[in-house]
Amino acid sequence: MDLGSLAAVFVGVVFINNFVLAQFLGICPFLGVSRRVDMAFGMGCAVTFVMTISGVTSWLIVHGILMPVGSRLGGPESLFFLKYVVFIMVIAAMVQLVEMYLRKFFPALYTAFGVFLPLITTNCAILGACLLIDMNETYRNSLVKSAVFAFGGGVGFAIAITVMAGIREHLRFSDVPKPLQGAGITLLTACILSLAFMGFAGIGK
Amino acid sequence: MRKFVRESWLILALGLVFATLLACAQTAFQPRIQDNQARALNEAIGLVVPGTVRTERVRVEGYDRDVFRCLAEGQTVAGWAVEAVGTGFADRIRLVVGLSPDARSITGLKVIENVETPGLGNKIAEEAWAAQYRGLDAGRPIVVRKRPPAADRNEVQAVTGATISSTAVTEIVNRALERVRPGLERL
Amino acid sequence: MASENGSILKQFTDGIVANNPTLVLLLGMCPTLAVTNTVENALVMGAAVIFVLTMSNLVTSLLRHLLQPHVRILVFTLTIATFVTIADLTLRAYVFEVSKKLGPFVPLIIVNCIIIARAEVVASRHGVGRSVADALGCGVGFTLALTLLGAIRELLGTGGITLLRESGWHWHLDPKVFEPHAWVVMIMPPGAFLTLGAVIGVVNHVRARRAERGGK
Repeated sequence: MDLGSLAAVFVGVVFINNFVLAQFLGICPFLGVSRRVDMAFGMGCAVTFVMTISGVTSWLIVHGILMPVGSRLGGPESLFFLKYVVFIMVIAAMVQLVEMYLRKFFPALYTAFGVFLPLITTNCAILGACLLIDMNETYRNSLVKSAVFAFGGGVGFAIAITVMAGIREHLRFSDVPKPLQGAGITLLTACILSLAFMGFAGIGK
Repeated sequence: MRKFVRESWLILALGLVFATLLACAQTAFQPRIQDNQARALNEAIGLVVPGTVRTERVRVEGYDRDVFRCLAEGQTVAGWAVEAVGTGFADRIRLVVGLSPDARSITGLKVIENVETPGLGNKIAEEAWAAQYRGLDAGRPIVVRKRPPAADRNEVQAVTGATISSTAVTEIVNRALERVRPGLERL
Repeated sequence: MASENGSILKQFTDGIVANNPTLVLLLGMCPTLAVTNTVENALVMGAAVIFVLTMSNLVTSLLRHLLQPHVRILVFTLTIATFVTIADLTLRAYVFEVSKKLGPFVPLIIVNCIIIARAEVVASRHGVGRSVADALGCGVGFTLALTLLGAIRELLGTGGITLLRESGWHWHLDPKVFEPHAWVVMIMPPGAFLTLGAVIGVVNHVRARRAERGGK
């Protein structure tokens, strides 16, 4: 496990295969929350945090519980049909824990996040991160690479959502045609951002 | 304790019911799913090692991916099929390389997974391009050129406008052959 | 929100037009962008969503009197996760190639806002008949929207529409005419954003005009 391959994983998921702009994960918050830069950045941080712990925890449960128990029953992969249920339960639990923790120790932050925290549970980016780690041979068997991948996924999401917020703040002073206001113009802006990020393809080599 | 049961009995009951349901679905579908997974690989092997009727998975020292001994009618060895994986321009590329029984020359190549640029990089998955590898020497590195390959040289021509994808495939093949041939020759 | 007390048939048709989850309610955007690169992917995803949505609404509606405030969301999630797993197993058994192309988006149906929203708003409050009608309506609406987007993207992106079922049947439309001019970008991420943004723009325009005319 060298630093180089970890860096490659990180750069890969932040720029080349950006969760939002290339893999279409986390679009709902991307369209909904990206109106102000400070909120967007906050959301990005929260998502990164939850994504990393959820990714690591689900990996641990799959490798530490599902596989050994499955091996006793019929083969290491025999309990894999429970994976999705496990992932979503882990995420729901993590978000609950984060919420409780924030409420107790950082009440200001807790009120700032408001309704976003529970919403993170349905953020497809988080479940998406767990699924992608599980589906990809490169990460599936390495806890460190999975953790870097999950963390990078969150960072990529944070970058995309913050950049979008910055652009939308400026767009407020532009003359957007009525039918395109709101979701329409955001999507078209995302199109251009996505094109820009496509330019990163190939730096992995 | 009672409060806990009162509030969560539904979840626990549902959990049990659903887990049973899922276990049934899993048992019902698993055979078909396994067949499907095997089929994609088998089709590729059939293409890269012509004449294959049966395959046996073998362990080759020094190579950690799948290698298959391909048997023709009458139990003779038709060749070997080697699975290899690597990074392309966009993301990972998975391919199968066919080798002659003596592992000296390449009998075929098939890219089975790729997410290269549609219309450009993903031409590496096309029969016409992969056919260039047929007959090449497996003992020497293959070189990618931008012009038609010279006779008697271990060369292939890159896909126009997709040099990186083409080079990636060749590198994957070269690396795989380098690592698998020593162990293969001992079999 | 269109008529809560209308007929069950209206509940169904509302899901397709007035409350179209993708183009009007703007829910479930992630799969909408991801699987509309071909018509085939869109249709299969639509079928999966119809199945999960219907079963989820059915079960939720049957259990609606037993739901307690603390555990509602958990019950919804557990139910949805179960049916999504069943759908995923079914797809992998019968349309393996397509299920691989759909990637993580079939399991991602679990967090698809459409399903949770309909469970919360309709199924947990109404009887089985209305809940199922709503599920079918929204599911069909979702499928139609996705197929429209998929058709636009695939047609412009590859010059033809190919429905390559595993049984080998396919229907190709005008490939030679368009292929040299195909906009490959349409089947890539930017194309997804572009198509959805444009279609939503058109839909908003039509709705605004209708509202104007209705107001006169």
